[in-house]
Amino acid sequence: MTETVATVQTPQMTPAVWEPRIIGFLCYWCSYTGADSAGTARMKYPANVDIIKVMCSGRIDPELIATAFASGADGVMVLGCHIGDCHYISGNHKTMVRMPLMRRILEDLGVEPERFRHEWVSAAEGEKFSKLVTEITEQVRELGPLNWPQLMRERGVGHGTDLRPWGE
Amino acid sequence: MSQDAPRTQPSGNGGGEEPRIGVFICHCGGNISDVVDVKRVAEEISRIPGVVISTTHMFACSDPGQAMIEQKIKELNLNRVIVAACSPSLHELTFRRTLARAGLNQYLYEHTNIREQDSWVVNDKELATQKATRLIRAAVARVPHLAPLQKRVIPIHPSVLVIGGGIAGLTAASCLASRGIAVTLIESSPFLGGRMSRLAGLFPTGKQARDLLRPVMDAVINNPKVTIHTNAEMIQSTGFIGNFRTTVRLLPRGVEATVANVQAAIDACPEQTEDDFNFALTKRKAIYFPYDGCYPSHPAIDWKSCTKCGKCVEAVGAKGINLAEEPREIEIQSGVILIAVGLDLYQPRLGEYGFGQFREVISLAQLNRILDPKGPTGGKLVVNGRQVRSIGFMHCVGSMQQKGVHPPGPDGRMNDYCSRVCCTATLHAETELKTRYPNLQIYDFHEDIRTYGRWHEDYYSQASEQGVAFVRFNPLRPPQVERDPREEMPLLVRTIDRLTFGEELEVPLDVLVLATGLVARDMARLVDLFRCSVGPDRFLLEVHPKLRPVELAVFGLFLAGSVQGPMDTVESTAGAAAASAKAATLISQGSIELDPFIARIAEEVCSGCRICLTVCPYDAITRDDAKKVAVINEAVCTGCGTCVATCPCNAITQFGFTDDEVKSEILALLARVPAAATA
Repeated sequence: MTETVATVQTPQMTPAVWEPRIIGFLCYWCSYTGADSAGTARMKYPANVDIIKVMCSGRIDPELIATAFASGADGVMVLGCHIGDCHYISGNHKTMVRMPLMRRILEDLGVEPERFRHEWVSAAEGEKFSKLVTEITEQVRELGPLNWPQLMRERGVGHGTDLRPWGE
Repeated sequence: MSQDAPRTQPSGNGGGEEPRIGVFICHCGGNISDVVDVKRVAEEISRIPGVVISTTHMFACSDPGQAMIEQKIKELNLNRVIVAACSPSLHELTFRRTLARAGLNQYLYEHTNIREQDSWVVNDKELATQKATRLIRAAVARVPHLAPLQKRVIPIHPSVLVIGGGIAGLTAASCLASRGIAVTLIESSPFLGGRMSRLAGLFPTGKQARDLLRPVMDAVINNPKVTIHTNAEMIQSTGFIGNFRTTVRLLPRGVEATVANVQAAIDACPEQTEDDFNFALTKRKAIYFPYDGCYPSHPAIDWKSCTKCGKCVEAVGAKGINLAEEPREIEIQSGVILIAVGLDLYQPRLGEYGFGQFREVISLAQLNRILDPKGPTGGKLVVNGRQVRSIGFMHCVGSMQQKGVHPPGPDGRMNDYCSRVCCTATLHAETELKTRYPNLQIYDFHEDIRTYGRWHEDYYSQASEQGVAFVRFNPLRPPQVERDPREEMPLLVRTIDRLTFGEELEVPLDVLVLATGLVARDMARLVDLFRCSVGPDRFLLEVHPKLRPVELAVFGLFLAGSVQGPMDTVESTAGAAAASAKAATLISQGSIELDPFIARIAEEVCSGCRICLTVCPYDAITRDDAKKVAVINEAVCTGCGTCVATCPCNAITQFGFTDDEVKSEILALLARVPAAATA
């Protein structure tokens, strides 16, 4: 599998028609179930957000968000239970503190804030979920591709580090 | 702890072995395949190195579907399985079991959701097919990192701690003990029986509360499996399901069971304090027992009002009464804990419907004491020494509160819920009064009447037939209570009756009874110790009202009775019986299996910085000061992964959600697939 990933990541193979690629990190108990309930209600939304399930939004390490952007994501969504609803009592309290910091770090790196969305979605809020997916997809589409390697080069970030995975 | 944790460690099978991946894509009858071109997806996935088989099935979850997967696992010697179908909440477990039947570790499985999160939400067939391909591609990238995890097996100490000696706690203790399970019952007051012992006739049978309570109490007292501690206050509890260790402080009773001539000691006591058993209708001594037939049957000393003057000690000749005894602490070990601490009555504000302002305004609880044949008036309807001719009942005092009408409580919250019990209790009291005193004038002031329970409505019909006058007020304009200016009666209630379309009424009354609502007790310590979930109404919150109605989210903790919300004795006993059945099930299993998705610390990487200790919602992490590393208690860890994201050294991994697993998913989802491959 690693082989497959390596061969397909070269920029010249990017398809002609660009579609935003967005990663959604969702906690299993509220937001993932909320996404399911959007499905059960047959709400239509864009196909651009791919969901990665974690047990609790407290598991979402900022490093994973950076990994997503660095690996070619044009946007990232982080969704968790509403404060007070956490299946693990207070896991999302940590998310609540981490995500605004992550947003600032991303801004410092030149990633537009519209590419990063952090919201609370309960198991019943299928409609909110589909609305959020539609919103972030449209916002990112307007901004265009992120192109992290070029961005890092312009900002002088990662100088001296191995940029081969990004086609350098 | 982590070095003793081989059960959840990956064995050889997970790491080195070359992955042989089987991918099964479900049509779901058309739910998926009408939108997603499953054949094309299967074909594309089959080209990924490591994928041994990639095929589709009309209904993967059906018996033939599962049989096919089982057969392919054996035939092709698969060691990783992916089913792309509905949401994992529906069939992840189904397919894990399929793997187990095929002799493969059930955690070498990945469930990909291409129905709820793809075919049902994406209109465009091409985009939906591409999305399904991406999601399965991510699963294929993820599964080589999976480890053959094992469920955690936790032994359970065969004993139960029941907190609370009211009807719920007693019922639970009696149920459990009758199954031969060792029970320790702790009660914070000096006597068993709780709130129920202070009630009089009970709906829906009309029987006296203490007559109903007695057999339950006897069953508990006479069962050698039950250890009872009264005057016992929980101060600390550590441990986890299977092995809780609870520290209890035992206040001295002051009086020994063997003491002779108790009455002389009580008579000798010079103190007079409000008798809380009679809701302050009467006074009692500092050495007391609340009622005849209480348990334990010998008196106790109320340390709040006792001045330690020693007169009672003299009266019994210094034998059997000890005022110098100190509190002591004991530790109780138990496999599970039942919380049955009950609830409190709403205390009306000063001046609320004249409460605290006029002596003739009393609570329904006080009326119940007056109606008790063994109560302070011997069951006669006498209030402040006067025979009552006209009595009013006010519903929903401290319940159904609304913003703008009622001020919020000291904590800023309102009791906006229905206390459920008070309507029927009020109507029951009215019918009882009408039966005993047919000429008594009874007025029932309500904004709404909810006789929700079985046979409860009969009391409403009966009260109507017996001539109780029902007056319905507008909750936004509650009735006013004042002194009767004509002095015919002590009280006058002014209100507007909606049943007669706005007639203004002035009702003179001897007594006004407030049907006070039921509120949660102050359980801050308990909530803190056990990390209980608390509802917006401040009562403790079960995991799920329908699926797990008597369990707390913390494993091994159960809720019995009205700690969960307003309940009558019928519901309390039912809840307690349910909780004891659940507890007994756990105990009889002897051990419990828990999911293996917990966190683990790599000791060689851990710097011992303690940051993870502060973020764990369950206090599952401690620090081994000798080794200078953090240690996770496997039985307490619930696998949220919050510590994993926190660790600055990346020393913590979460089984099932390791960094490798999640990152491989990210990379595969974002891989730019060559145009030729998608065509």
